[in-house]
Amino acid sequence: MAADDYLEVSGLCKEYEGCRALRDLSFRLARGDFLTLFGPNGAGKSTLLRIIATLTAPDSGRVRVDGADLEDGSEEFRKRLGFISHHALLYDQMSALENLVFSASLYGVADPGARAEELLAQVDLQLHRHRLAGTFSRGMRQRLSIARALVNDPDLLLLDEPFTGLDRQAALLLGELLLVLKERRRTIIMVTHDLDRGLAMASRVGILAGGRLAFLEPRHRIDAAAFAGLYLATINGETS
Amino acid sequence: MRSAWLVIRKDLRAELRRPQAMIAMLFFGFLLLVILDVAVPAGTEITPETGAGILWVAITFSSVLGLGRSFDREKENHCLEGLLLSPLSPEGLFGAKMAVNCIFMGLAELAILPLFFILYGDAFLRSLPALALVLLLANSGFAATGTLFAAITAGADRNEALLPMLFFPLVMPLIAMAVRATGMIFAGAPLPEYSSWLQVMAAFTLIFTGLGFLVSRHIFRD
Repeated sequence: MAADDYLEVSGLCKEYEGCRALRDLSFRLARGDFLTLFGPNGAGKSTLLRIIATLTAPDSGRVRVDGADLEDGSEEFRKRLGFISHHALLYDQMSALENLVFSASLYGVADPGARAEELLAQVDLQLHRHRLAGTFSRGMRQRLSIARALVNDPDLLLLDEPFTGLDRQAALLLGELLLVLKERRRTIIMVTHDLDRGLAMASRVGILAGGRLAFLEPRHRIDAAAFAGLYLATINGETS
Repeated sequence: MRSAWLVIRKDLRAELRRPQAMIAMLFFGFLLLVILDVAVPAGTEITPETGAGILWVAITFSSVLGLGRSFDREKENHCLEGLLLSPLSPEGLFGAKMAVNCIFMGLAELAILPLFFILYGDAFLRSLPALALVLLLANSGFAATGTLFAAITAGADRNEALLPMLFFPLVMPLIAMAVRATGMIFAGAPLPEYSSWLQVMAAFTLIFTGLGFLVSRHIFRD
């Protein structure tokens, strides 16, 4: 692991009932990198995020964060992890404030109530703080879900198709929050099919295909139009 | 420990707000006691052994309803994944859910016991202190085994059917020991006569609690 590496993924392999989701996947990220990963469905993108998030164990290979092997102290690592997935991860029978206070308390945030209020203001839900999450509209739930993922001010943020299904307001808000986190040198890995948004935010861009990293380059070396062609060719190659 | 306590508090608050598990457990327990009371011919004296059997039928079947629901709240919006993403350890999650199940069973028994004494004779009431010890051991054993299998079946589509099929055969020795010990307590036997049953119940509870903590990391992670 080089001195400036924050995340090191080496030799990851994962198989689900005979289907190889990841094949000897390796890459490194420095602190503050924003990696956007593109790839066709079934390329192993979500599996990679789930392994880094310690939700799934790899068959072989390892993940090191800040020099520490995830196997050794995953509880400590998860204090600094944020994950925005397809699922809201919210308790319908708890209010917006209760959901955030509960999450903040789990992460050991010093003043969970103050942090929850701060996040509710950021996602423009402070007027609805005492409403049950189950009564929220889809857009409000999405905003609350984003706030929940940021409750511990994560050093490493994983985003699995974060813009899919978001309403316009929630998408704008998420875009702004991601830019703020990028400026604050948080390390971010985003999996998406959205070429425009993915390229706009990334400092590094990769294509995952067939469980392997088919492409990984710094954003400044990539021409958006040429990359779109490459991405389409990769998808077509996968599906043909 | 602190994170586990947060989960316990969350579950207790949620149950207070919307008491789904408790209502199901109490309703089923009351129903069984009343049906069995109607089935016993009027004027028939209930022997200590029969009384113990009736009590444990009500407790066992009402408990399994509560155990089956222990992960229901975590299923909505994939909240279980949210807990596993947090610094809470899988062992802490298992411990928290086991504690919640133990508390729910204890609360249900607090309501079921008075009805049992009313329907089947207040003579059994004098056995209450010793019975409390049996209930404590049985609850812990039920909660350990039930939480383990509720966690295993939480991801299954038809876990309501799967849980009793896995749970009952395994917990049968514990039920048998609880019935035996309770029968002896109702008959007025001194502690040394049934202490061996209590010791085996304690061993059962320790084994399944330890097993739950040992395998929780493998159950909750893919």
